[in-house]
Amino acid sequence: MGTLPYTTDVRPDTGLTNPKLGIWLFLASEVMLFGALFSSYVLLRIGALEWPDQSSVVSVPFGAFNTVVLIASSVTMVLAWASLASRLPGARRGDAQAQAAGLGRYRLFMGLTLLAGAIFLVVKAFEYSDKFSHHLYPSTNVFLGLYFTMTGLHALHVIIGMIVNAYLWGPGARMWRSEPERFTNRIEVAGIYWHFVDVVWIFLFPVLYLL
Amino acid sequence: MTHDVAVQVRKYLIVFAALLALTVITVGVSYLQLPRVETVTLALVIATAKASLVAMFFMHLKGERPMVMWPLSLTAFLFVAMLGFLLMSEADHLFGTKFGDAFQNIFD
Repeated sequence: MGTLPYTTDVRPDTGLTNPKLGIWLFLASEVMLFGALFSSYVLLRIGALEWPDQSSVVSVPFGAFNTVVLIASSVTMVLAWASLASRLPGARRGDAQAQAAGLGRYRLFMGLTLLAGAIFLVVKAFEYSDKFSHHLYPSTNVFLGLYFTMTGLHALHVIIGMIVNAYLWGPGARMWRSEPERFTNRIEVAGIYWHFVDVVWIFLFPVLYLL
Repeated sequence: MTHDVAVQVRKYLIVFAALLALTVITVGVSYLQLPRVETVTLALVIATAKASLVAMFFMHLKGERPMVMWPLSLTAFLFVAMLGFLLMSEADHLFGTKFGDAFQNIFD
């Protein structure tokens, strides 16, 4: 089976590697998906006769904590990439020993990214069960309907990102030995997706918790 | 390459600190009980600033190729158009005789 073209070389006509163009086009479609939900939120809230005080329904401290957790996971993700990018063959520290050390650092930071994702989901699950125990469901009112839909879709994105990251932490990391540059680009592309999930939460937090 | 990445790591940590500071500010501002318009504006400005920091530095959008920028610009335009067209369904009381009243629901 032939490999995809232009995973390490830049395609002359686009000026990009194919995976990088691909992930950005995918994220453009994601912007419209979440954009439709944000638009619905604005429309329904403007048209609503009454709206609950959001910060008394959802927990601002939990939301703020999760914001910090996701931001930290973005930092560890980009550091995971940097651990590899600084030790590619041809770099000053590109010898075999440095490459082994690079993989160790990469695994550490990617592991921390996975841990942060897991903490985010645990807090989110705790928030959900707290709502349910107070008989607050998506059907309770328009705000809770939007809250569960938007945070639920976001949590699904966190789960998918964690599956990809877990693969790249474990069996997928073998590629670092055979094709280090291709693997480094993979981490960058997975990172761009993960940072997008962070960006979505950066908007969800004020819109659903603070305003 | 090695040197570049070392510099980048420091940059990432500075961005991390800025993001944490903006998070503290946005939560703090929400407790100030400012008027509704100011609260909404400030929260969205801070969120946009944080998102821009993540996009520019972590997602390497700063200095990215035009082939990335063009589709993203088109997406931003289409999102604004979608939001705008949806809001037109509320235009009777957004832009009608009761312009201010239309915002009472969100701003009160």
